[in-house]
Amino acid sequence: MMRQLTALTRRELLRIARNPQAIGASLLLPVLYLILFGQGFNLPYPSYYIAGAPDYFSYFSAGMAGFVAVTATLFLGANVIFDRLFGVLKRTSATPATPASIFGSRLLAGSVQPIGLAFLVLGLAALLGHVGLAGLSVTQSVSPLGALEIVAAIVILSLMFASLFLAIGFSLQQPQTYFAVVNAINLPVLLTSAALYPVGRLPDWLKTIASYNPVTLAVEVIRQNLFSGSVGYYTYSPGIYLLGLAGWAVGMFLFAVVLAARALAPAR
Amino acid sequence: MQSEAIHVEGLSKTFNHTLKAVDRVSFDVHPGEAFGFLGPNGAGKTTTVSMLTALLAPTAGKAIVDGVDVFADPVHIKKRIGLVFQESTADSDLTGRENLELAASLFDVPRRETAQRVDSLLQRMEIGDAADRLARTYSGGMRRRLELAVGIIHAPRVLFLDEPTLGLDPQGRAGFWKYVQELRKDHGMTVFVTTHYLDEADTICDRLAIIDHGHIVATGSPSELKDRLGGDVITLRPAHGDGRLEPVLRAVPGVVSVAAQDGTYRVKCPKGEELVPALVEACYHAGIGLAGVSLKRPSLDEVFLEFTGREYREDEGLTATDRAVRVGQVQQAFGRARR
Repeated sequence: MMRQLTALTRRELLRIARNPQAIGASLLLPVLYLILFGQGFNLPYPSYYIAGAPDYFSYFSAGMAGFVAVTATLFLGANVIFDRLFGVLKRTSATPATPASIFGSRLLAGSVQPIGLAFLVLGLAALLGHVGLAGLSVTQSVSPLGALEIVAAIVILSLMFASLFLAIGFSLQQPQTYFAVVNAINLPVLLTSAALYPVGRLPDWLKTIASYNPVTLAVEVIRQNLFSGSVGYYTYSPGIYLLGLAGWAVGMFLFAVVLAARALAPAR
Repeated sequence: MQSEAIHVEGLSKTFNHTLKAVDRVSFDVHPGEAFGFLGPNGAGKTTTVSMLTALLAPTAGKAIVDGVDVFADPVHIKKRIGLVFQESTADSDLTGRENLELAASLFDVPRRETAQRVDSLLQRMEIGDAADRLARTYSGGMRRRLELAVGIIHAPRVLFLDEPTLGLDPQGRAGFWKYVQELRKDHGMTVFVTTHYLDEADTICDRLAIIDHGHIVATGSPSELKDRLGGDVITLRPAHGDGRLEPVLRAVPGVVSVAAQDGTYRVKCPKGEELVPALVEACYHAGIGLAGVSLKRPSLDEVFLEFTGREYREDEGLTATDRAVRVGQVQQAFGRARR
């Protein structure tokens, strides 16, 4: 089982590395948001309005670092569908590889990429400040524990969305349907999260939804560790947010496991 | 029964409770044998292969492959069999070598043997020079050979080939079968093959089963099946349209029937090559000169016609994509002709 998992994960990583266009496409949306939306909306909001961040762009950059976990895992389900259409999944199913190793390898490999991309987004956001644009300002030194919390938030969020998109990929047969479903998820997830605007200023009904949105849980962990002004703003510590995020990830993982096992079982 | 490489008993598959794709099929394949499964498109060939390779659950029946109950232990059976699909399933984003290394890991080939086995197969399949190129750059023939290498990386005792030469040119087909025959010779591998090329089935297979509408309608060696049609046909053309020929031919021992057609006489007999001298001699003694003699063994096309009631067309085995490509080629040729 471990040998199968390692071999299939290596295969997935090789495919990702050999397809730099897909990596670029994953980055495109967050980067466009940073440059177009982030710069345009960087107005002088009061600190309490933007959860203790020094400016809106810094607040927004942390949101985009979380959102990249969504855009970078989008392709995982599409890969499942294309592998089914091109026979690669059938070939793998004809070997003694277990459904757990087939699913697990895609989950592991697919969750690696967003970690690098999230830090790339944060780095790019900081760099913009040095070329005459609004840039990310980190207003406190990040402790080793804080860095670990940021990485954990991105990893868990990536695992959660990787599970979701894999579940959809294993359930659907046609790429057109997949992209329609994913587009229907992508934007609402972004708009009902704290990635773009502070939860505290939202209408009550939207505030409730946004508070439980996994993207919100992850970006609040990032913000608490980057901005000194956030002290006292948040009701819960990063650990509690991470716990909520882990709950989401476990739930989505179980959901995906059931659907993948059904899809990879001998056809009836 | 236990010593058979494949033992199938009452195997059935019904889709959506209504469509009977395979209906109570039973047959045996002997160890080391090349067994061909022939049938038109939709006859149940691929459904049968899918069930025998544990990719599809049956509705009823049992199948023992290499001594293992396919449906009771699907993981175990996958370790013991090789499978080459009709479509290309090699990973285009990996090199030929990486495809083989991946398969070796999935089949749990001992690590110390993997590199040597991969190199040996790459050389044997004549893709050694392209081993480190991405599979997407391979020609159709190279991809087929890579598929075969992937299918046998774990040295299976039974190899399933599901229309493996579909879409290959004659040279590619001949090359592919050369490797399969070598494998059989060197490793005593049992081969179960579905193909829509009847000439291939005739040449490669020791025995054949013809399946139609989910039922096996005939089983036997290619020559046995042909013999069931009444044997060979010898055509004699008298030099001067001599009408005395028919009774002379009928009198020769071994002749089953004689039919006159367009100035020639068609003689049916079990072993044509042995009867030709006797027929020529009978004509000589009767003073009848011959302008020509030809011997024709019945082809599998005629066998197919006999058992299924319709002629076998190569198009039967083509996928919708292949047909579309052919239509495109015809349209292109038509366009060129008009210009």
